Amino acid sequence: MSEKVFVLGGEQTDFQRNWTKEGKTFMSMMREVLDDALEKVGISYDEIKRLNKENRVAVFVGNFDAEQYANQGHLGAFLTEVNPALYGVPGARYEAACASGSVALDAAITHIRAEDYDLAIVLGVEVMKTVSSSVGGDFLGTAAYYDKEAKGVQFPFPKLFGKLADVILERYELKEERFMDALAEISRINYANAKRNPKAQTRTWFMNKEHAMARGGDNNMAVGGRLCITDCSQVTDGAAVTILASKDYTKEYAKKTGRKVDDIPRVKGWGHRVAPITFEAKKQESVGDKYILPWTRQTVKDAYKRADLDVKNIDVFETHDCFTSSEYAAISAFGISEPGKEHIAIEEGTIDFGGKKPINPSGGLIGVGHPVGASGVRMMLDLYKQVTNTAGDYQVKGAKNGLMLNIGGSATTNFVFILGK
Amino acid sequence: MREIKTVTILGANGAMGSGSAGVIAAFGGAKVHMLARDVEKAKQGIEAAVASVKTDTIRARMIPGSYDADLEKAVAESDWVFELVAESYEVKEPINTRIAKARRPGTIVSTVSSGLSIGRLAKAYDEDGQKHYYGTHFFNPPYKMILCELVTHSGNDKKVTQALGEYLDKVLGRAVVYTNDTPAFAGNRIGFQLMNEVAHFAEKYADKGGIALLDEIMSGYTGRAMGPLATADFVGLDVHKAIVDNIYDNTKDEAHETFKLPGYFQKLIDAGKLGMKSGGGLTKVVKHADGKREKFVYNIKTGEYDPYPKFDIPFIKEARQKIKDSDYKGAMDVVKKASGFEADIARYFISRYISYSLSLVGEVVDTKENTDGAMGFGFNWVPASAFVDFLGGPKETIKLMEASKIPVPKLLKDAKEGKKFYELGDKLDARSLFKG
Repeated sequence: MSEKVFVLGGEQTDFQRNWTKEGKTFMSMMREVLDDALEKVGISYDEIKRLNKENRVAVFVGNFDAEQYANQGHLGAFLTEVNPALYGVPGARYEAACASGSVALDAAITHIRAEDYDLAIVLGVEVMKTVSSSVGGDFLGTAAYYDKEAKGVQFPFPKLFGKLADVILERYELKEERFMDALAEISRINYANAKRNPKAQTRTWFMNKEHAMARGGDNNMAVGGRLCITDCSQVTDGAAVTILASKDYTKEYAKKTGRKVDDIPRVKGWGHRVAPITFEAKKQESVGDKYILPWTRQTVKDAYKRADLDVKNIDVFETHDCFTSSEYAAISAFGISEPGKEHIAIEEGTIDFGGKKPINPSGGLIGVGHPVGASGVRMMLDLYKQVTNTAGDYQVKGAKNGLMLNIGGSATTNFVFILGK
Repeated sequence: MREIKTVTILGANGAMGSGSAGVIAAFGGAKVHMLARDVEKAKQGIEAAVASVKTDTIRARMIPGSYDADLEKAVAESDWVFELVAESYEVKEPINTRIAKARRPGTIVSTVSSGLSIGRLAKAYDEDGQKHYYGTHFFNPPYKMILCELVTHSGNDKKVTQALGEYLDKVLGRAVVYTNDTPAFAGNRIGFQLMNEVAHFAEKYADKGGIALLDEIMSGYTGRAMGPLATADFVGLDVHKAIVDNIYDNTKDEAHETFKLPGYFQKLIDAGKLGMKSGGGLTKVVKHADGKREKFVYNIKTGEYDPYPKFDIPFIKEARQKIKDSDYKGAMDVVKKASGFEADIARYFISRYISYSLSLVGEVVDTKENTDGAMGFGFNWVPASAFVDFLGGPKETIKLMEASKIPVPKLLKDAKEGKKFYELGDKLDARSLFKG
């Protein structure tokens, strides 16, 4: 599939913004991000009108929970509010909890691969600052098995990923101090990386290793077993767009914009696996397996196989660090280390910005922020920036191939994409 | 980059002192001598610093002390002495004399003054001291408001300025705006010009709604979260007076007369009604027996407080809806085309704000990005250059200014049409500062 689906670019909103405070809505957010993305990529609304006449363009909206956060469903149709040029353009909303952006990407990629459309606009969006953090925490609980794992639980997800930390510690017989130090280092790296990213939620926040290590107390409260505030990504409002295209359209586009097709990155591989929904079932199923999240590992392997690449070919990773424990488990899932030895990769600086296998140069979910339905699309946009050498201050030198892992629920829905030139 | 390991804070128990110390100890990882009138006050400052940046990790490297017992020793071992004592020459100058005697060559000394002459304050120092003396105007609260006006004077060394600027930017995470040693520097000069002139208009239109009406006309759709008069009430009318009086006494520009303090401000100050901090000023909030809060506004004509009115001004409603939908140019088109005296006032002040901001380039700052940064990061107001783009470019903006009889700055006359006028877009998304 490496010659079938190309990525032309896109844009994200500033994840520091609080749209409710600004008196604006998810719709305003969609308008701004789509206008910005089209401007950046160099595609006009007139061009969309032209493509639409020939039924060559479609839109894919990733969103988790607009019903609860904004009293609105049917988001796929909402792009028509952004601009009348989108009247008639096929569009639908895709949902897979925190992997909603990826399931929208997956649908877009599939349609382009099947030669149904030439241009796919993928827009991930979530407005989350409309409610208090405890109400929002309850909404997010619907990404787990709500009745069994979230009902009546305050902040269910930190607790589920706290359990993942417990299992990692027990299963691999790690020294607690060393393991917690590694988690703190993950947090430090993500915040430090986010400082270079002008669209990151936490770019002006204070964080260093010392603070990440100082767990407990009012300023770094425990929220899920061993995990404290500094181990968590934080919700925010945000939207991101990536624009995908067929080879034929990419050729037209390259000619028009004076670029070479070879300089435009393509989706080289993908993986999509769904693990048992409850964390307890995941834990039971993985007994005896080298990997605590075997389906996450399998998703990565599927993507490598389809791309005919391996970890040695990947220069940069964007992973789903909803919590430090999820990034920790991803390190071995990517093949950067053996399972149980992730802490060594962290200690040796392998995943740091200047390391051999940098993870989340953007800042990841911990640093950039986690507007649930937008995260997968944002990750793809960041891979695009990295492999086209346009990531500015957070550019990983010489990045040619990038891999993203986006998960929904407690590593339930797993999506991996590999982008490269 | 300059290495700053040890810092002395003077005025450690004030909101600015403790907040700045928190930033320096946290982001800068520095050891900080926290000096106040007595050790107990300094200890309170340490706790406030911890609370402001929300990390206990800085507590151990903050050392409480008093001016009497610890100033000389602390200063002698510091790489930077940051003085945040009361805003007057009478208080700052004697302290500077003591700092000057104790400082080592190469130590930076700065003040948080928002209006005093940095050149005059620098005079307490020898040549090396003058070279290393600056205004570092942080905004309140320092952790959240990341602007720092770095004020230079004629005795500074460019290399030291650059190194200090880099430290403030890269290490402390400040949005650094370089300004010359002029009254109130950039942010307050522009911000208080608008606030004070709006206050005059409130008096002129006292019969039609006064303070509340003017804040409604200058509300969120004009690029600010809080109305200008609500802002004056928030910072305190005494502080407002100190700033505008200083500018009035020490500058002469086209907006000179607009810096005269309105009579009713003085009347309120004389009555101890300084604003929110004193329980009432331009507005006040009354808590009723049933717990309900009611807002009142000062009636300039009668001297009484009236219930805060609601307005129904069609063009404002329409513009607000456009902002809500993120149609910023559409909102400005509404403002451009609207009729009625309220719309005239809105156009007048939008023009005045852009004109005055850009007119200070060359005198107060070297580039418009500095005034834009000062207003965007320091006041959370849409920067002047961004407004030019939302209004449809330089030509359209000039038209607006001419219709409102506001001088057109050279920078705008010389601007190229069709090119983005606002250049800070990658650092500050101006759209986020409009409120719908």
